[in-house]
Amino acid sequence: MAAKGDMVYAWTTSPDIAKVAECGGAVTGLLKFALENKIVDAVLAVKKGVDLYDAVPTIITDPAEIGQTAGSLHCGTLLISKLVKKYLDGAGDMRIGVTVKGCDAMGLYELAKRNQVNLDNLLLIGVNCGGSVSPVSARKMIREKFGVDPDSVVKEEIDKGQFIIVTKDGQHKGISMDELEDEGFGRRSNCRRCKMKVPRQADLACGNWGVIGDKAGKATFVEVCSEKGANLLDAAVKAGAVATEPANPKGIEIRGKVENAMLKLGDKWRARYFEGLGEGKERLEKIMEDTSRCIKCYACIENCPICYCVDCSTKKTYLVPPGELPVPFMFHLIRFAHISDSCVNCGQCEENCPMEIANSLYMHSLQTDMERMFGHTPGVNMDLPILALVEEKAERERLSATGSDQIFNVFE
Amino acid sequence: MTETNGKLRYVPTTCPYCGVGCGLNLVVNDGKLVGVEPLKRSPVNEGKLCPKGATCWEFVQSPDRLTKPLIKKNGKFEEATWDEAYDLIASKFKETYEKYGPKSLGFQVSCRTPNEECYIMQKLARVAFKTNNIDNCARICHGPSVAGLSLSFGSGAATNPFEDVLNADVIFLIGSNPIEAHPLAGRRLVQAKKAGKKIIVCDPRYTPTARLADEYVRYNPSTNIALINSIMYWIIQENLHDAEFIEKRTTGFEDLKKTVENYADVESITGVPTERVKEIARIYAGAKNAVVIYCLGITELTTGTDNVRSLGNLSMLTGNVGRPGTGVNPLRGQNNVQGACDMGAYPNVFSGYQKCEDDATRKRMEELWGVTGLEKEYGVTLTEQITQCGDPIRAMYIFALNPVVSYPDSNHVMRSLEKLDFLVVQDIFMTETAKYADVILPGASFAEKDGTFTSGERRINRIRKAVETPGDAREDWQIFVDLAHKLGLAGFDFNSPEDIWNDVRRVTPSMSGISYARMEKPESVHWPCPAEDHPGTPILHREKFSSADGLGHFFGLEHRPPAEVADAEYPFTLMTGRLLFHYHTRTQTDRAKLLHHEVPAGFVQINTDDAARMNIRNGEKIKLTSRRGEVETLAKVTDQVAPGVLMMTMHFGDAAANKLTNTALDPLSKMPELKHSAVKVEKITGVQ
Repeated sequence: MAAKGDMVYAWTTSPDIAKVAECGGAVTGLLKFALENKIVDAVLAVKKGVDLYDAVPTIITDPAEIGQTAGSLHCGTLLISKLVKKYLDGAGDMRIGVTVKGCDAMGLYELAKRNQVNLDNLLLIGVNCGGSVSPVSARKMIREKFGVDPDSVVKEEIDKGQFIIVTKDGQHKGISMDELEDEGFGRRSNCRRCKMKVPRQADLACGNWGVIGDKAGKATFVEVCSEKGANLLDAAVKAGAVATEPANPKGIEIRGKVENAMLKLGDKWRARYFEGLGEGKERLEKIMEDTSRCIKCYACIENCPICYCVDCSTKKTYLVPPGELPVPFMFHLIRFAHISDSCVNCGQCEENCPMEIANSLYMHSLQTDMERMFGHTPGVNMDLPILALVEEKAERERLSATGSDQIFNVFE
Repeated sequence: MTETNGKLRYVPTTCPYCGVGCGLNLVVNDGKLVGVEPLKRSPVNEGKLCPKGATCWEFVQSPDRLTKPLIKKNGKFEEATWDEAYDLIASKFKETYEKYGPKSLGFQVSCRTPNEECYIMQKLARVAFKTNNIDNCARICHGPSVAGLSLSFGSGAATNPFEDVLNADVIFLIGSNPIEAHPLAGRRLVQAKKAGKKIIVCDPRYTPTARLADEYVRYNPSTNIALINSIMYWIIQENLHDAEFIEKRTTGFEDLKKTVENYADVESITGVPTERVKEIARIYAGAKNAVVIYCLGITELTTGTDNVRSLGNLSMLTGNVGRPGTGVNPLRGQNNVQGACDMGAYPNVFSGYQKCEDDATRKRMEELWGVTGLEKEYGVTLTEQITQCGDPIRAMYIFALNPVVSYPDSNHVMRSLEKLDFLVVQDIFMTETAKYADVILPGASFAEKDGTFTSGERRINRIRKAVETPGDAREDWQIFVDLAHKLGLAGFDFNSPEDIWNDVRRVTPSMSGISYARMEKPESVHWPCPAEDHPGTPILHREKFSSADGLGHFFGLEHRPPAEVADAEYPFTLMTGRLLFHYHTRTQTDRAKLLHHEVPAGFVQINTDDAARMNIRNGEKIKLTSRRGEVETLAKVTDQVAPGVLMMTMHFGDAAANKLTNTALDPLSKMPELKHSAVKVEKITGVQ
């Protein structure tokens, strides 16, 4: 029987899945098993759109179609968590199996704390993530740095510190991420700063790090992270949908080393980005200058896995007079005040910003400051965030008037 | 397929607002639109959107949508069947045509409709009624660009793509405010600024775009030719022009040189000191690569075509055409303003700018379309059609336009429409204009049909059907197919927008290589693209210009004042413009909650000193009067406009700038002078 903390090599027993999947296809095999056996009503995962630079989220209910979501797309920079809230009723009345990167898992936890998604109805299959590359930037990088027509690429991967492409005619070409990123290509800036490489707050954490020996490339490393995860794995093994063997101890060690190296790299980038921001007034002035270009598209709010209020303070006319350009700084102050204790550095507020404002950098720098001060880490468990002072009566009335906005019971 | 339970279906499509052509995903749950999500794969906007694009799904499912054909009986609209509506339209148009001939009909098409629909409407007008009285609303935005750039360079379209500004060293913007009107083109300026490129913004108004500039030049409204001539004078004077380029690739330089000799000092006209003009001349001409970006501040004047040609002069003078990081780029205001013209919804050309007056072209089109007797003569333009209502135009077909709000001199438009014997309006909402119709046909929004929009960089972007039309509303291309069949026309057996597009390709050499299959990826193709294996043409005029002689043409052009200037009785100059948060007459944007929240009502910008002098407070309701009409609107007191200058937006029917604007036309392009009229300002007595 599997238990929380177990580490195994796992692979699908289905030849059909093995054909389309990567690294043994355990993730695809487990999702198919969960669908077939009504453990979930639907799977939310990512499929390839017009090409491998185009990641499209999709809901699958027919187990026969699960193969579409096999394999990884490093040029997909989607955040899955907010989609569950916005379009799937927060998994209120549907059990959904979801593949999640670190930022997706963190976002789901933060939404769950705010009663915006129902974690009980979610089966989270975590996948290791070393970072993702924006699709348009990836195509440019392949054209300019690799000297290859991006349309001729049939596969891309990030492995051993390199971005590697395989072309139609079978050529492999890899360039080190460090080199690419020093020249402004490579992973998104939030991914560079990320330190959630193995999403252990999911039910299972899966990946190819630490798969060695004869199973290298043929099995998935699975760490069991919850009872729900253990039960799924057990049932799937019992039914013969996936096969497992204990992970090689040397492989576990290697996986730890890879993870640690990634974390160190994350620290390096944090230092570089945060130091560049300066401190105190200097930092404030930089932020005020950069945010003064804002054109109020509200993408930072729409795509933020922390934002959920129907009655958003940025729309209160006495706080932010509507229709004005430049947008009053209060708009951004409200964001900082409301989000910064819980920011999971998913990067959406920055990559969706039409005015190239480094929103994610500012919010993440504030979050790390607050984490240092108050010891609260967002996105890893159900611990409530540090709460700002509110006037109880007014706040209760405000929330009640929205009909749907919730808040943790802070008034006890 | 994957959409087994109908949830979270992403439909990649193109934004229905400005001419940048941003990609976005419509999200569909159980057959209903539920939102917009970023399409990060799009090279145009990389998933980023402006407030309009982000909310563009909301109006689609508005309860105000027209869902049934309506026929006016005894002054009241009554619901009708499609057959009743089609029969009435077919019989009225046939009757009018037979009795009064081709000049008695007018056809107007909006630049927000897809290429396929612009094409089929002009084909129907030309084939069924042998008339060239077909025009689109580019007439009142970038008609002068089409005319001016055609004369200067031989092609009326933008020369270089939006992203290409990143290859420029200097970006020269004039009469353009992309941060508000074309935000994702504005983003390229932000990127360029971050990369250390120099930005010059010339604008009478200190706009959000001007805030980005390294060099902001405020000049008097509508003095473009004087300003540009003076810049050119100093470029030549200081020997900063590109003699080799001028020699090899252009003609007419001596004419230009002679003309600008009188423009050394234009401060009395433009308000810009000569030293400042010299500085700008040196920066622009000193760049290795410099690009010119302009918009309606250049075109919407009686000098529109000459203003555009002046920018052509400026770029050729310094050899800044035909390479990355150079060129002359009009920013197009509507999603398909480029395409509507490309499709031949224009009174003197078939699709691809093939001239009707050319006998060989007409013969070829007659063969391809299987008809005879196509009209040769230049048809009647958009606002001239309004003036001709009643005589000789008796029946008119208005497709997705709202002239009562968007054309100059609204009172004139309303009086004219009343003179028609028969008016058809095809739209998605009951607009101010639809009220004048005899028949209203309920069409489809961009989310309810397939098709293509051609953006301002000549990239042909796909739109894809995400949801069904509401009620009995029909996809517009289908309406024209149905009508063609009612009229007994051959050559309209189209079963899909792709069928229509393939007809476009068949008759349009410059687009024949662009199939729907090639448009699947969001890079798509920039026309001209004459063959399937042709890569398309992001940058025009590389080796030679598109003109008949292959040369760029200089023109010596003199400054002319606007048709109506401020005087003792009407002492203020009124300019018009757009807002970040609204689009055109707001039939779509005001139905998005967020956009309505940002700007729920119209206003006029007035300078702080003027307001103080007249004791007008910010937010106070004031009265503006021109020789043509009057409006009451809220004063926004600001230093963004100079003393003596006012700015109103075009968006608000209840505070309609166009009740004040002038119908005087640019002689070459028939563009009305929307950007310049004389008004007086009064406090409203009794109101504090």
